[in-house]
Formats: sequence, structure tokens, C-alpha cells
Amino acid sequence: MARESKKKMLRLRLYVAGGAPNSVRAIANLAAICKEHLQAAFKLEIVDVLQFPLRALADGVLVTPHLAKLSPSPASKVVGNLSDRDSVLLALGIGK
Amino acid sequence: MSRGGGNPVSALPSNVLRLVKDGLERRALDAGEIDAVIDAGSGNVILLPLAKRALALAASQAANNLLAALPRPDYQRMLPELEPVTLTYGEVLYQPGQRVRHVYFPSDAHVSILVVVESGKALEVGLIGREGMVGVGLALGVEHSSVRALVQGSGTALRMPAGVFLEELARCAPLQRELHRYAYAKLAQARQTAACNRFHLVEARLARWLLMTSDRVRSDHFHLTHEFLADVLGVRRVGVTNAAGDLQRRKLIGYRRGEITILDRAGLEAASCPCYGIVRNLAS
Repeated sequence: MARESKKKMLRLRLYVAGGAPNSVRAIANLAAICKEHLQAAFKLEIVDVLQFPLRALADGVLVTPHLAKLSPSPASKVVGNLSDRDSVLLALGIGK
Repeated sequence: MSRGGGNPVSALPSNVLRLVKDGLERRALDAGEIDAVIDAGSGNVILLPLAKRALALAASQAANNLLAALPRPDYQRMLPELEPVTLTYGEVLYQPGQRVRHVYFPSDAHVSILVVVESGKALEVGLIGREGMVGVGLALGVEHSSVRALVQGSGTALRMPAGVFLEELARCAPLQRELHRYAYAKLAQARQTAACNRFHLVEARLARWLLMTSDRVRSDHFHLTHEFLADVLGVRRVGVTNAAGDLQRRKLIGYRRGEITILDRAGLEAASCPCYGIVRNLAS
């Protein structure tokens, strides 16, 4: 019971293309979503594919921006600038 | 509504369209929400045209002083809405009474602000280059231009639609501060110019405007016709010829077929009326 009530830590990884416009928006949108819905219960890693293209390749990322939920399972993803808050929340498994 | 900065699908390179055929990724691509595509075969990251342009813009430090003074995250956020344009000598950006549709942040172009009186004659009351913005009236809540904005020096600028500019202004306190400071500098410049036009001699005023132009193009060499200068100084063409001849005789400038070269900057500053120094200090 106690374990279920403990908020599960969300592990997220956002792949971006440097300071390109949709990437910048995705970062801003994600920051707002995390602040409002997750407070401190998340770990976010941002991977710049312009600096680390091989990581994107290894992780099977096709386009950026690309948000991957690594845990808890099931893994999921959202692509694009994350401006559709509802679909991001759905993909991340976050209730409203 | 995401102002998605979308590439029209027809403008997408064919290799991109081949790599992203369907699914979530293709829908995001069609919606203009993608910056780059990764080619698994080659390991290359392919930037889409708009993203490439935005990154190139960001990489070159903002060439306009107002934009460069903004905190980087604010400037980055505005970048997708700043369209690089080329301004050409003689191009009219605003006519008096016209609704302001875009504001302009010059990089190396410069723009004359002219008051047009009922006879149709015009007098230059301001000069805007990389230190400022064309359309500051909008920042003060005025939607229509009261002046003519005429491109005096060809070059590049960044342009932003009026509606977007007003939104940015509402949310970005540093932009407000920069523009308020700038609006005051323009007011001070206009007041000084009023006194200058009334009291100072043509040669001294010509020296002042030549120095102001040189500051904005960052060069001692630029092009200005007698007609243009006549409007600037509010004198007849022959008045310009005489004043320019005077400065040439004093070996302060070279002036041949509209090409002006400042030969002796210190001397030209000494020949200029004090308004040059006064306004320059106010604007910095």
C-alpha cells in the first residue's frame, strides 16, 4: 500500500537539435508540464543530437524533438514540439 | 495553437520525405514540428531548412544591439519569428498614415526617418541602424506610422510581424526595458535635431549626419546622393553642394559621384555641431 502511494519517479529523455526552433519549444513546453504535473518526481536528460548523433542512432530516434519515457514501463514516446499538452500527458501516463 | 514554424511539405528535401514515411514521426513532420531527421543508414543528422536557418542566425551573434542586449533564452525564443530580410536603398518601409505591419531590427542596413510636410517636402529627423529598431511607435501603443521610413543604406535586417512583436513585448520584460530606453533616445535625438536644424550651420549639420551614417554602417566609405542629403538637411541641392565642397576643401571628406569617404574623422567631429556627441552619448 505504502509503495503504491509513493509517487513513481519518471525517467525522461528528450532528444533535440541544438537551439533549433521546435527543439527550443519542446524544452520550454516540457519544463512547464513537469513543473505543473510532476514537481520533483522526474529525471530529465536532454540529448543534443547535433553533438551526439550516435546516441540518437543507438536509441532508434528518427526525428527531433523526440521525448522518450524510459521508466516506469511501458516505455513510450512523443515526437514534435510537445505543444499538445494532453497528448504528452497521455504518453507519459500522467493523470490530470 | 502552436505557431509551428512549419516548412511547407513541398519545401522538404526528398531525402527527408523518404526517411520519414509514416506514423507519428510523419504526422509531426507534416505539422512542422520537426527540426531534424536522423538517417540510420549514414548516421547523419539532417536539419530541416527552417531549423538550419534559425541555427545559422543564432550562431552569428545578434548583429542588432537591441536584440543582443536581451537574455539569450529570450532571444532564442524570438528567433523563429525574426525573418532575415534584405533592405534595398530607396525602399520605403512605412508611409505616413500607414498601418505598421512589421518592425525591423537592422543589422547592417540603415533607415532614414522622414517627416513629410503638406507641400510634399521631406526632412530627415532620425537615422536608425544596428543600434535600434524601426517601428518603435508600436512599442508605445501607436499602430500607424506618422513618418516615412526610407532605406538609406542597403543591407540586412531582421523583421518581425507587428502582432508577434506586441505579444513578445507583453511577456518579455527585458525587451520592454530596452525599447523604453531606446524610445527615450529617439525622443532626445528628435529634440536635439529640432534645435540643430534651427541654429547650426549647414556644414556643421552635414558633418554630423555623415558621422551618424558612418557609425551605423561601420565604415568610412558609403554612398549618399545630393538629393538625399538635401532632404536630410532641409536645404536645396545647391546648399548640399556648397556644404560638401566646404568639407572637401578642408580635406575632411572625399565626395565623388555620391561616394563619400571620411578622410579625417577627428577633423570631421570637430567640424560637426555638438549634437553629434550629445546624441551619441544618449543612445549608448
